Amino acid sequence: MSAAWTVLKEQINHFYLVRRLSAYEMKSANSGNYLGILWEIINPMIQIAIFWFVFGFGIFNREKVDGHDFLPWLMAGIVVWFFVNPATTQASKSIYSRLAMVSKMSFPMSVIPTYVIVAKLYQHFMLLGVIIVLLATTGYFPTVYIIQLPYYILAVLILLVSFGLITSTLATIIRDVQNMVTSLMRILFYLTPILWVLDAKDHPLIVQIMKLNPLYYIVEGYRASLLGESWYFIENWEYTMYFWLVVIVFFLIGSSLHVKFRDRFVDFK
Amino acid sequence: MEKSVVVKNVTKKYKLYKKNSDKLLDLLLPKEYGEEYFALRNVSFEAEKGDVIGFVGINGSGKSTLSNIIAGIVPPTEGTVQVEGKSALIAVSSGLNNKLTGRDNIELKMLMLGFDKKQIQELEPEIIEFSELGKFIDQPVKSYSSGMKSRLGFSISVHIDPDVLIIDEALSVGDKNFAEKCLDKMNEFKAKGKTMFFISHSLGQMKKFCQKAVWLEYGELKAYGTIEEVMPQYEQFLKDYKAMSKKEQKKFREDKMKQRSQATV
Repeated sequence: MSAAWTVLKEQINHFYLVRRLSAYEMKSANSGNYLGILWEIINPMIQIAIFWFVFGFGIFNREKVDGHDFLPWLMAGIVVWFFVNPATTQASKSIYSRLAMVSKMSFPMSVIPTYVIVAKLYQHFMLLGVIIVLLATTGYFPTVYIIQLPYYILAVLILLVSFGLITSTLATIIRDVQNMVTSLMRILFYLTPILWVLDAKDHPLIVQIMKLNPLYYIVEGYRASLLGESWYFIENWEYTMYFWLVVIVFFLIGSSLHVKFRDRFVDFK
Repeated sequence: MEKSVVVKNVTKKYKLYKKNSDKLLDLLLPKEYGEEYFALRNVSFEAEKGDVIGFVGINGSGKSTLSNIIAGIVPPTEGTVQVEGKSALIAVSSGLNNKLTGRDNIELKMLMLGFDKKQIQELEPEIIEFSELGKFIDQPVKSYSSGMKSRLGFSISVHIDPDVLIIDEALSVGDKNFAEKCLDKMNEFKAKGKTMFFISHSLGQMKKFCQKAVWLEYGELKAYGTIEEVMPQYEQFLKDYKAMSKKEQKKFREDKMKQRSQATV
């Protein structure tokens, strides 16, 4: 519990540090190529196009999903995946790949995964803007439901930071964890309703199990806000409680692991 | 005199593993796996304010480990280190980000060291001026020569105004002009009464600059005293060591190696 408090205080007290370091993180990731940060838009667009062709046009044969055309349904959900996936993999290697930069033990190391994730958040905002415009061109103009979007952005950010604390610590001690995280993300891509969704009426038990994945909540929440369906987090308040419970558990585990090992991180270089 | 750095019974133990699986088992199980290796064993000494102390010893005697521990980069396994005020380590590889420009690196490094926005803005021009990088300051660090990198590293470290300065072989790069500029800066620090630790294999430089010396031999403190006391002993040791036959040298090294893996001496 005291570990969680220490980490929480570090996160809040070093807000400026997180902001500056994440700006540099983004700068250094995109230096060297001519289109720079534009690639953060181009890449997702290419992927969305190919997924639409294979799944929407091909496999689902232009059928509707949950009452929406496939393309807008896909875009509203996958947009958050383009944030979650790189943020999680980068966060898990954040500490061990930056040990050389950290030239003082007194540096608040728990902010390292945070600033790496926040660096990805800026890109997410850009992509989100593009997606909102594209949705409008397919007939989904922003509705009043879009005001719940900041809540889901905050929720996914806190989820990723809590999870990042666990993976970054474990990956520093045992590098194989990095490979496990990459595999896990690949699995989760198909187990989260991004490309397809199971009908709860046909398979209630399986849907219940899939909902244990907190990303299920995030993706459905994004869809509800962008496609203007419902007040998802209020209508499914039990699921909201479950989500925050998972976040708290992740944070408690992550911070206690982090505080336990951080003095020795440098020995694992 | 006021104490500036107090090193008390500092031991740094590393584990040597034969297999990767041993490493994992050691981490997970209470039983000990792997061989212990003492990089430093029971080192104690005190430095007073304004002391300039040289670390001498042959390769692998623990000089860099000790300087990292004093700088607060590496934690000691046992023992304590008390440092009055801020400490800064200047080493050849000073953790610069290759993809960013020199200017960005200045801010990044200072953020990492805990400076706030205002302090960084104040110090930045001075650092750039001192580093003599000219228009290269806005180029990515990967295009720098090794001399330019160490000049940038040195400028940053001396401008954060540390109370304790540790210089690890950093003056061996850079041309004579810059080395002299650095020595001037260090003499300035000396005059201000700051404590400095100096690691170099150049005994001449050391005699000129330091008043005290710490002699480390295979991780243990062999001698600590004024430079006039320690240096002749160390030079004698080097001479004796050189005079040994290849076989004797090897035996000497192996004996010492064995000692370093034992829990007690």
